[in-house]
Amino acid sequence: MIKIENLSRYYKMGPTTVKAIDGINLSIEGGEFVSIIGPSGSGKSTLMNIVGCLDSPTTGTYSLAGEQTAALNKDQLAEIRNRHIGFVFQSFNLLPRESAVENVELPLIYAGVPPKDRRQRALEILKRVDLEGREYHLPNELSGGQRQRVAIARALAVRPKILLADEPTGALDTKTGAQIMELFRELQAEGVTLIMVTHDRDVAAQGKRIVEIRDGQILVDVPVQEWKR
Amino acid sequence: MKTFKFTESVKMSLRSIASNKIRSFLTALGVMIGVAAVIALVALGNGSQKSVEASLQSLGYNLLIVYSGQPKGPSLVRKNTTNIAPSLTDEDLNFLSNLPKNMVLHAAPESSVSAQIKFGNTNTGGTVVGTNLEYPSIRNFHPVYGAFFTEEELNSRKPVAVIGAQVYKDLFNEGFDPVGQKIRINGIAFTVKGIMEEKGSSMTDAQIFIPITTFQKYISGSDKYALINIQAANMDTMRDLQKFIEGELLHLHRLPGMDSADFYIANQLDLLNTMEGVTSTFTLLLASIAAISLLVGGIGIMNIMLVAVTERTREIGIRMALGAKSKDILSQFLTEAIILSVGGGLIGIIIGVLTSYGASRFGGMASVISVQSVFVAFGFAVVTGLFFGGYPAYQASKLDPIEALRYE
Repeated sequence: MIKIENLSRYYKMGPTTVKAIDGINLSIEGGEFVSIIGPSGSGKSTLMNIVGCLDSPTTGTYSLAGEQTAALNKDQLAEIRNRHIGFVFQSFNLLPRESAVENVELPLIYAGVPPKDRRQRALEILKRVDLEGREYHLPNELSGGQRQRVAIARALAVRPKILLADEPTGALDTKTGAQIMELFRELQAEGVTLIMVTHDRDVAAQGKRIVEIRDGQILVDVPVQEWKR
Repeated sequence: MKTFKFTESVKMSLRSIASNKIRSFLTALGVMIGVAAVIALVALGNGSQKSVEASLQSLGYNLLIVYSGQPKGPSLVRKNTTNIAPSLTDEDLNFLSNLPKNMVLHAAPESSVSAQIKFGNTNTGGTVVGTNLEYPSIRNFHPVYGAFFTEEELNSRKPVAVIGAQVYKDLFNEGFDPVGQKIRINGIAFTVKGIMEEKGSSMTDAQIFIPITTFQKYISGSDKYALINIQAANMDTMRDLQKFIEGELLHLHRLPGMDSADFYIANQLDLLNTMEGVTSTFTLLLASIAAISLLVGGIGIMNIMLVAVTERTREIGIRMALGAKSKDILSQFLTEAIILSVGGGLIGIIIGVLTSYGASRFGGMASVISVQSVFVAFGFAVVTGLFFGGYPAYQASKLDPIEALRYE
């Protein structure tokens, strides 16, 4: 599903070059649940942006579902994001003036799905994340956990191959966070590939595979059972 | 993957416009006022042009006027001739009257002075015009009641007067038959012969026509004329006729050339052209003022759209992360700007048309709405939206999704 070879991402900061990612190799198969962990500034966000096709590597290759992404331009990357990747953010990133169902429809608009199908699909997915009865509420009328579930529904709307979650429980209390993790495990069971970035080791332990990053390099890459906390 | 549809842009834009109604209204207001101003001001300009043309045409057709005094450029017909010593003689008039009918149809001398007119105890002011029987035909200005004075009255210097419609209103009660009544002009008694038709111009309607001979005897004491009106037989040859008359009058006055002439000839065509030039400059001036306000409206749109793009940076980031391409974002913001400017333009057209209509209906101003100005103003509004909305939309489309998502 994901094949990253010898990938680096450098930023020019005035005269110096910051090596955010420095020669990473990583393969993720379809249906995996990978937690990427590391302190802030370790490069995990940069890696996440590249995996999410929001950013391109400086050197190295990244292939997603068999497609090489390094050569793609901005619009082609937008298309890949739309088709293959669902984003879940720490701060939900819902559009505040759109109802839950309208937020879920957003990626479908850019995928060119006709309005009727769009609405039907969005309603189905909201039902899947247990938000029946909340479809027409605005984000500020929903609780944090409900908002994150709207965001997850939105990420799932185009039936992506990969769900990318950036600190998905960071803004939630422990109990609600646990519910979201439960939902992730269910989704994994349904065959969705999950990649989650977090600095919370307890949350990371909910995944099936742990990738620990430090100073732009992979420190540890083990199944969760072998991970020593 | 299908391309992002235009209808989606329109829906998104309408939603965003509706979510901030006051701001959207204020943004569109600039364009609204601009478009309304273009339409209303051009309509007023056109109206004044039309009314000037109409009033020039009402002077009569194919008119040449020989004035006393030094030659200068084309001037207004109704200039003040009372301060200039009359220099046109009977000889000049006879020459002009006796020209063949295929050159000159009519010639009428004219001298005038402003005077006090009195009937009983009622007073008014007016212009006393001495002329001959040809005058009504040349100026297309006829008595509506009673009659003009006769040849016999002209020849025998009779104190008779034909009064203008305004003079009648000022001196007599409505419905009173003035014919045969005695009025006093500067103290001299005149018998009223008739009332002239109403032309609607206060200057024209405040005239009193008396025989030129009577005028010379009782009022000016001079046997010269201030001006001579000539009706040419053919409009196409008016300039040739003008040159010909100039030559002949110079000869009669024993003068070497127009540089030293004591008369000059105004040609109705020249006056018409001059007035058209003046009024179209006026219209152009009004249109440019209006265009500037349209420009200001456009800058208003750009200003608001730039603010909107900054404010909605995060939204743009979210949309991009979810798969919006640059052109989707561009189209969304551009559509919003165009909807605002087109909406403002349409409302502006309504306001402009109503204003023009109101100005002529209630303000007494002549206004002629030009369809052209409506289209030009509206087209300009659309272009304004495209142009001034284009830059902010482009800025939005070039945002980096990572930066935009991080924006607080």
